[in-house]
Parts: sequence; structure tokens; C-alpha cells
Amino acid sequence: MPGRPSDTKDALVPFPPEAETVPLYPVQHGVKPPIFRVFVSWSRGNVLQVACIRPIEDESVREERNGAGEGGDIGGKVMEVKLGASDGNVEEAERRRIAYGSVAPFALLQSRRNSLATIYRVSSSSSVTEWWQHVLEYSKSISELLGNTALPSSSVIEDPKMVFQATARPTPLKAAWQLMEIFYVDRHSFPWILECLVDWLGEYDGLLSDTEVIVHRKLVKLQEKLVNVQVIEDDSEYWEGISSALSIGWLEVVVKLLRLHGSYQLDQLDSRETENGLVEAVAVLVSTMPRMRLDLPMGKLGQCYRTKPDFVKGLEEMEGLAQKCMQLKQCPTSSGLVGLLIGILGESTEVVMAECLKSFGPWMVTHSLELLTTDSDQTEILLHEERYSLGGISIMELHRLIYAQVLSSHPLTWQIAPTYLVSCPKQGLGLLEILLYKQPLQNHVMILKNLEICRLYELERISSCVKEIAGIYHWKHGRKGCGIYWFQQAHDEARLNHIAQKLFECVGIADETSKRWEGLIELLGPEVESAGGLGFLHKYQNFKKSLQKVKDASSTDAAQQTVELLIQVKLLNWRDRPLLNVTETNLLLSKLQELSTAKLRPEFYQSDLPPRALSSVRLALATNLSRTFLEG
Amino acid sequence: MERELATLEKGARCCSWSYCGQRLAVGYNDGSVAVHDSGDSSSATSFTCSFKWLVSPPLSLLTATLLYPEPKAAEANKPLSISFAVEKFKVQPGGIMNIIWIPPEFGDAIACVCVDGTLSVWEEVAEDIQSMMWKQCKIFESRTSRVLEVQFGVSATSLKMVAAYSDGHLKVYELLNPLELDKWQLQAEIQNVIDSVSIFGKPTCISASIAWCPRRDESQKLSFALGFNSDLPQFNSSKEFSIIQIWEFDEAHQRWLPVAELASSVDRDDRVHAVAWAPNIGRPYEVIAVATCKGISIWHVGLNSEFDGKRPTEKITLLSGHDGEIFQLEWDMSGMTLASTGDDGMVRLWQSNLNGVWHEQASLDCNGEQ
Repeated sequence: MPGRPSDTKDALVPFPPEAETVPLYPVQHGVKPPIFRVFVSWSRGNVLQVACIRPIEDESVREERNGAGEGGDIGGKVMEVKLGASDGNVEEAERRRIAYGSVAPFALLQSRRNSLATIYRVSSSSSVTEWWQHVLEYSKSISELLGNTALPSSSVIEDPKMVFQATARPTPLKAAWQLMEIFYVDRHSFPWILECLVDWLGEYDGLLSDTEVIVHRKLVKLQEKLVNVQVIEDDSEYWEGISSALSIGWLEVVVKLLRLHGSYQLDQLDSRETENGLVEAVAVLVSTMPRMRLDLPMGKLGQCYRTKPDFVKGLEEMEGLAQKCMQLKQCPTSSGLVGLLIGILGESTEVVMAECLKSFGPWMVTHSLELLTTDSDQTEILLHEERYSLGGISIMELHRLIYAQVLSSHPLTWQIAPTYLVSCPKQGLGLLEILLYKQPLQNHVMILKNLEICRLYELERISSCVKEIAGIYHWKHGRKGCGIYWFQQAHDEARLNHIAQKLFECVGIADETSKRWEGLIELLGPEVESAGGLGFLHKYQNFKKSLQKVKDASSTDAAQQTVELLIQVKLLNWRDRPLLNVTETNLLLSKLQELSTAKLRPEFYQSDLPPRALSSVRLALATNLSRTFLEG
Repeated sequence: MERELATLEKGARCCSWSYCGQRLAVGYNDGSVAVHDSGDSSSATSFTCSFKWLVSPPLSLLTATLLYPEPKAAEANKPLSISFAVEKFKVQPGGIMNIIWIPPEFGDAIACVCVDGTLSVWEEVAEDIQSMMWKQCKIFESRTSRVLEVQFGVSATSLKMVAAYSDGHLKVYELLNPLELDKWQLQAEIQNVIDSVSIFGKPTCISASIAWCPRRDESQKLSFALGFNSDLPQFNSSKEFSIIQIWEFDEAHQRWLPVAELASSVDRDDRVHAVAWAPNIGRPYEVIAVATCKGISIWHVGLNSEFDGKRPTEKITLLSGHDGEIFQLEWDMSGMTLASTGDDGMVRLWQSNLNGVWHEQASLDCNGEQ
């Protein structure tokens, strides 16, 4: 582990790195000093809201100052500060495109990991091969996302003086990814790793440093010179250029440069025959230099060998490369690519991770950790070991959490954070719950999106919570029906019971407010089932109505209907308090008696009352009557 | 890196953000409160002031006053939507000391602590098609003591409010009806938080800090951390005394119990400025930050009580950096980064590295151009 306490390499959230001193950012708020109080609040993710408030002045002082206002006549400002805004090389929109594009490959890889783990319980060679294929596929998808590889010049007529073409600057992110792919994933390239590196340098050498002399810059400079200089071989930069290009294997450039040698000039060919012969011999030698690789792209020089005859030589060359990087490392402004290269060559996973984080941000770390684990058990352990100091999670999980938090910071990217959070076995769901809870739930679309995520990941607790928040919001803002709907969705018995109590008191009372409440009961729908805890109110309302009819008309039909309603609702056994007063109970009892007598008559139409219905209703009514007496 | 969200009027004294950071309540020195809203979830919006009203009106203003939006001419004769129970209101000129948003499951509501120690609860409501308004739901009054600090915690069944008073008492209230913020029941009153250590007389509490444990699931016990600063009467003088405790609700016996103390006896003269309980997304221990005169201490507290009923605690580190008093502590959503603000006009950000070593990661200078 990189050890120093204040070492930013192992910082959780990547603020720009300055190991020795804590980075200090002045917040430009335009409020006239002094500042009396600063209040902060974490908004979503890594966004911090900062309120800077001026001191409260006395009335007298205020009057004195009235003349000289400018910035002093406000109480303060609220600012939003984005933290850990990493990689300045990538535009925000581009970063979002990459973030969205990498979700699918990442998710696919995770699901493949899970299914592989189910199929092969123990790690076998076949599972390793299969896994490696998956990671390679993943790496290729991500790499594609980061931009196209620079294509060789398509011009038909070549300019003989154009030895080196400075192509459009590729992104360091792509360069870093390619580098990691070469070293960690692409097993086909392992025997030809050096050649891969040569190709990589061909494409990305220009990114290695902004200030130091690198081959790329040397050649660009030389290219500018070529047009004007006549006797090029007298210029030391020419030879330096050749040797530099040769040292990193850019054979095409070397050959082209050699052919610019003065001895090739028509007017000099005769007098410098021997010299020209030598140069040409070197050029031929260089163009047929043995290269240990399968094939070469069009226009590339060298002779391919598929075996290892030049292995030792390759090793030497690699050392040379490593040394070159070591030298470059000492310069303070070296790009992260050099550090990354050193980390890779030094086989230090920690350095690789730290460089990825420092130079390319949390996106890079999260996605490239998948590449690191393909080939090394030791790395696998390092990344997956649960650590107490991290709160019981692994480094792998930590980086995913950090990346998810970065995604959460923006309203356009928070929705992809769950994919990364669910891949965190220990704390991902915990953070996801907080993330969902912190979304503004006044917005209907946001609620639906939120609930969809809850359903997907079976987050029932937070789902109820979201529904409750939505419910109370509507309830408090004059949309009672909508409020009840959400409370029912949340199975929020406590609130529904309170609402029921309120509605219950209004049922049957004929005044303005109760009409509104009754309207609400109607709104809940005739299908009592869907009304959940409030279903009984429908029944109670119907019952009250029919009871009214009994009083008015005293018909047997009405009486029978009332009894049916009673049986259906079981309202008589309502536990909280008796629902019928003494008169109503007596009325019902007498109607019940009528029904019993009616049963004995020949013209009685047998309804489908349950056999013991009458006696149970009678009993319930009697109980109710006694309770009414007691309460009265 | 930064952009402006809102401009506050003169006399602003404190402010507080809602659960999602989209609403901002600002308390003013004249006793008024303004609520600012940011349009929607899009990042391009800034806050606009949607309401401003007087919570504790100065003596000259005994009628309810809505300051913003200004009532339209046609509506001027209508009874004002912001209602004051003036006769009950202990009117004192004095500002809003602190504003606390109530958890969103209970509506859009705030609690205001005034300088005079009154506590009032306000909520945003809309009746039918009328426009929205802020309505006062409840005033907590006490003749003998002032409210110093209030915080809300959500249990499985209800909303709980713990309030610290200047006489050293701690009261836990429970909301009776989850739909109405006007009925609160006193669930517990703890009188001896400070008293137990006082020999010579009643202490006076100067300030208090409270932080509820952010709960993850229903099985977790309700608990909060409390920091109290008080003046202890001595023979002829007084001595400052501070205490930081963790209180836990014992469901079986329906009582609150102190389960840990976050200080050694030598720290007792070290005034507590702020307490913040980190969200726990799955750590095997809780993390609490405590700001005192000496700096910010980070504590690990065990998830469960040991055999003696106490929760194991460990002080991990003491962080220094602020010049002067630390004013506020705020954990980010993962509980990995702590932000602190202080008298020095700085916001400092603290993190632990891979080895569990805490350090200052970055700082924001808010002092403006000098």
C-alpha cells in the first residue's frame, strides 16, 4: 500500500493531487468580506452547496455604510461547488457519452462473472480461458468507446519529404486503456508485447510529456526543418532523429529519413557512390529488421517472425524503453501515461491504480480494475480482500462506490449509478438506498423512475419510503385522492387509518365538508379491493344509506338489504366503538325479528343468506346494544 | 468548479437545505424565514425565493405578515395565509437561530429555533386550488428554559423530535398523527444529563448539538448523539463543562438510555461545537465526528451494546486545521467525506485513506477577495 497519511494516491475521492500541501480553492462568490458564517450541505454525489453569509450589522453602522454599497448590500450568496472534477482533458459531454457507453459492457461482464461462478464452482482452466475471452471482449468495447485508432495516411502520392506525420492528437484516456489492454488482457499479444508497445508508441508517444524531449516532438521539429535544409546529413538533429526513431522501432520513419540523405541527390550520386551504397544498405537492413509478430499492417516495414529468436534482443530493447520512462518520470509535469507505463513495467498494481485515479479519474479506475484481475491471483486478492480500514469492503468495491458517487453528482448520470452499485456486494445497496432517497420526489417522472429502480433491485423499504413521501406531498398540496393512492401503494396503514378515521366521521353527515369527503370515497372506486384499507368505508356508506331507507319506508326488501350489508361488512363487530346508537340497533333488531317471522310465511323467497346469518347478526346487534348502553 | 445558486438578503443569519438539496430555508435576524426553491432536477437551475414570512415578529408587528410573494391587490383583503397565533406567541425581537427541515415523509416542513428559545413548526400546504402557503403548526413554549437545539428522527411508526433545553433537560417528543404536525406528545424527559455531575447547583446550558443515527432498517435501534455545554456553578465561580453521549431507545421498556460517552474525563472542559453521525451504508461500526475547541475527533462506535449495556467506542483520530471555532460538520451521502466549516471562513474536507488514516483532503476558502 502506498503509505503516507496525506498521500493522495490512496485518497477515496480524487481531488487533484498535491501530496504535501492540502489543495486550497478560493470560492469566488463576490460577497464583500468579511464573511461571518459559512454553511454547507452535500447535494447529490460530490456536489457541495456553500452559503457564505455576511455579519449582521447594527442599524447605526448600516446607515453609515449606506453610501458605500457595492456587494455589501446583500446578506450573502449560495454557491454550488463541484468536487473531484477530474480529467480536464475530456469535455463534460464527452465524459457523459463515455459513462453511458460503458454501462452495458460493464454490466455484461458482471453478469458473465456471476454466471461463470455458478457454472464452475471452482476455478478451472476452462473457466479461466472463458473469463479471459469475456474480459477481452469487454476491453475492446470500452476501447472502441474511447475513440478510433489513428489510421495510416491514406494519401496515394507520398511526399518524400514527409517523414513524419503529426496526426490529430489522440486522447490520453484511449492511450492508457490500450496500454493496459496490451499488458493485462490481450493474451495473443503477450509473445509480441514489445512490438505492441512499439505500435502503441507510434500512436501515442506524443502524449507522453508536454515539456520533455520525446521522440515525437523531436521528429515534429525535424520535419519542420527538412523543408529548408539542403545538406541534411550535416545536421546532428537528423542523426538523432534517426537513432531515436530506430530505438523505439519506427522503422518506416528511419528508412524515410535515410533516403533523404544527401548522397541520394542526383547531382551527388556519382561522387558519393560508396556513401550512398552504405546508406542504402542500412535502409534495407532496417526495412527487413526481424520483428516478432504475426503480421504487419500495410506500409509498415520489417520482417515478421513468429518464433522467439529475437527474444533476448527484445528484452534488452524493453529495458531501454523502461529506462527511458524512468528518466521521464523525474520531470514533474510528466503525463499520467508515463507513470502508468512505469507502474505496468514495474508490475505494481498499486501504482497502476494510483496513476489511473490521479490522471484519468474514477471512471478509469473502476473500469480498468476489471483488466487487472485477469491474469494474476495476487492482484485478485489485493483487489478483492475485504479490509476493516475501508469499513469492511474491498478496494474494488471502494472504487465502484466512488465512481457511483461521481455519477450521482449529475442529474443526467445518476440513473446509471445503480448498475455500479449493485455490483458492490457489501455497501452498494446501502448507498443506492440513500441515492434514491435523495432524489427530488415532487417530480412525478422522478418518482416513477425511482420506483422502477426499487422494483428492479427489490428495495422494498425505500420503495415504501418514496411512496410515502409522494403521498404526503400530494396530500399536503390539495391532491387528497392522489395522496391516498400513494399511501395505499406504500401499504401505509398508519396514515390510511388516520385518513379512514377522518372520513369515517364524515360519512352520512350531510354538510359541505362531508360531501367533499364522500366524493373522495367515491373517487377511491367501487372495487373495494383496490381501495385497500378504506374499502370498508364504501360498505359503511351503503349501509348507512339503506338504513335510511328502512327508516323511511320500512319495507321488507330494504330491511333484508340492510341485513345483507351488515353481514357483508361485519361492521357490527367494529372494535373501536359501537357504530349504531340505541335507536338504530333497536330498529335493526325489530327488522330482524320481522325477517325471522317472514321466513315462516309460504310466499317467502329464500335468499342465499348463510344458514347461521340471522343468529350471528342478532348476537352482534345485541353486543352492540350493550356496548352502546355502556358508553352512553 | 463553482456557480452561484442564490443571493440572500441582508440580515441572513442561518440556512438549511431540504433532504434533496432542492429547497433552501434561510433564517433572518428580523425573525423572518425565506424559502428558496430550485426549479427542478436539471442542473442548470438556480434557487429562486418562493416564500418569505415572519416567524417571530418584532414587537411593532403583531399581525401576520407575508413578505413574499406580495399579496395581489385583489387578494389584499383576504385573510392572510400565513397564520400566527399571536396571543400565544411569546413575541420578542430577535432572529432565527437555526432552521431544521423535517424528514420528507412528513411533508415539506421546517422547525425554527429563535434566539429567544422558542421553537415553532411550519409546513407548506395547499388547500384545494388555492396557492401554496406556509402555515404554522405548532409552537413549543417553555417559561423556564430556552430551546438550544432540535433534531428529528424517523422510527418505523412515527416521527420523533429531540430537543435540548438551556436548563440541561432533554425532551423527546413523538408525533401522534403522521398526517398532522400539530400534535406532539412528550415521550421522555431526561433531566439529569448534566445534573448528575453537578454538586453545587443547577447548571446553565450554553449550547447543544444533536445528531440522530441515520437508520438503515427497521431492526436497528433508534439512537442519537448529544453534545451539551454548560456552566457548572462552583463555590464562587463557575466552570465550563461538556458532555457527549449516545442515547438509545430501549423498545422493550420504552425508555431512553445513555449507551456511550464520547469523551475521556480530561476532555470535559473542551466545549463541543458540532456533532455529525455518518450515514452507514454497511460498515461494521458507526462513525461519528465531534468538533470541539481542540479540533475534530472521529469516533468509531460499535453497532451493538456489550454485556454491560454500553456500546464500545474508539477515538480514531483528532484532526486539526481550522483556525478558531468549528461551526458545522456535514457527512456526504456515503459517509466517506466529512466537510467542516469554521470561524476562519474555510470549508475543509476530510477523508480516510486506504489504511484508515484520516487527513485533510482539500479546503475551500470562502473569505472572498480581501
